Amino acid sequence: MAIIKVKTGGITADAVTDAKIADDVVGTEHLTANEVDTAALGADAVTGAQLADNAVNSEHYTDGSIDTAHIADAQITTAKLATAVFTGATDIGAAIVDADLFLMDDGAGGTIRKSVMSRLKTYVGAEANTPSFFARGAAATAVANATLAKIACRDEIVDNGGCYNATSSSATLNSLTAPADCFTPNVAGLYYFTGAIQLNTTIFNVGLVNNIGGTGGTETYASLVYRKSDTANGMVIVSGFANMNGTGNNICLAGYQESGGSINTNDSFYTTYFGGFLVKAT
Amino acid sequence: MAQLSKKIELYAAANSVSSVVFETDVKIRDAGSEPYIYEWNIDGLAEPTAEQLASYETAGNTAETAQGVLNTRANEYKELKEQLDLLYHDMVADKGDKTGEWFKHIKAVKDANPKG
Repeated sequence: MAIIKVKTGGITADAVTDAKIADDVVGTEHLTANEVDTAALGADAVTGAQLADNAVNSEHYTDGSIDTAHIADAQITTAKLATAVFTGATDIGAAIVDADLFLMDDGAGGTIRKSVMSRLKTYVGAEANTPSFFARGAAATAVANATLAKIACRDEIVDNGGCYNATSSSATLNSLTAPADCFTPNVAGLYYFTGAIQLNTTIFNVGLVNNIGGTGGTETYASLVYRKSDTANGMVIVSGFANMNGTGNNICLAGYQESGGSINTNDSFYTTYFGGFLVKAT
Repeated sequence: MAQLSKKIELYAAANSVSSVVFETDVKIRDAGSEPYIYEWNIDGLAEPTAEQLASYETAGNTAETAQGVLNTRANEYKELKEQLDLLYHDMVADKGDKTGEWFKHIKAVKDANPKG
């Protein structure tokens, strides 16, 4: 078969149709540089494979188009947050209330949790003298001769934490056995206590006694004041520190005298009182 | 009702223990109900039973009544410095006898609080 050679001058403009070109024969060398326009590309025709790495700049994103689905988990670091996230926020404009929320790293384990502000009260309270109590004498207590007698302070003024038993009977407070007229804290730590009584005799002792009678632990004195005077009816104030285990240790105000008979404490509220608070939890 | 401490002292005395040091030999506690023996540390003498202690109730009351008189007198006597002042003025006034103010004061207290 004879070969007919057709020169380009023998082909009229636009004479070679798509049907005259075999499939997959037009190579990139036949495309003029920068001549492939968007009309020549089909919709969604450019895949990730056609894009060079790191080639798409933020200018190619439509404003406001990046949604949460296109951000991988845990990819927003603190460095990506503008200072203005805090400084530019609108002030709450009112006192913080219990229901306000804040974020925290749960146990420093990387899990972000929310919390209501009211939880701060409990947390800070644990470090700020809670539990605490204060009670005053509501009636006289008989202190028998040569007897270390627990002093009843049943006019309870403050019992923050519910650890003071201002009754004449043992009770269960915070799941702990709390002897009568004793403070039985459920938080381990160092506590400060003070108390006072007045007795109509010249010589008597006033003590802060841990676990009187061996109930709740070993009986010990947290503090003891020995009074000896020429005059009776002196008021003695005792104060001291005690470590409490938070699991049953208790403390009471106690008096002791050896006048030979029983003596009642002065029942005025300003001469008979007992109080204390947590200094530092352990 | 006699003090538990008094009955213990009487029990001890009846068993040849002349003195009891409380808070050392014997510890009594009162946790709100009534006094009880918390620790008994007298060598050679057993802790008394409730019945033994009860047997000293009458003697205990008698002893406490007497002690109560002494306590009342002690409270009513003037302070030592005041008594010395009375004695001084009695001496100056040549009344170092039963006519002096010091003697009158002591006698008045004793008469008002007889031992029975």
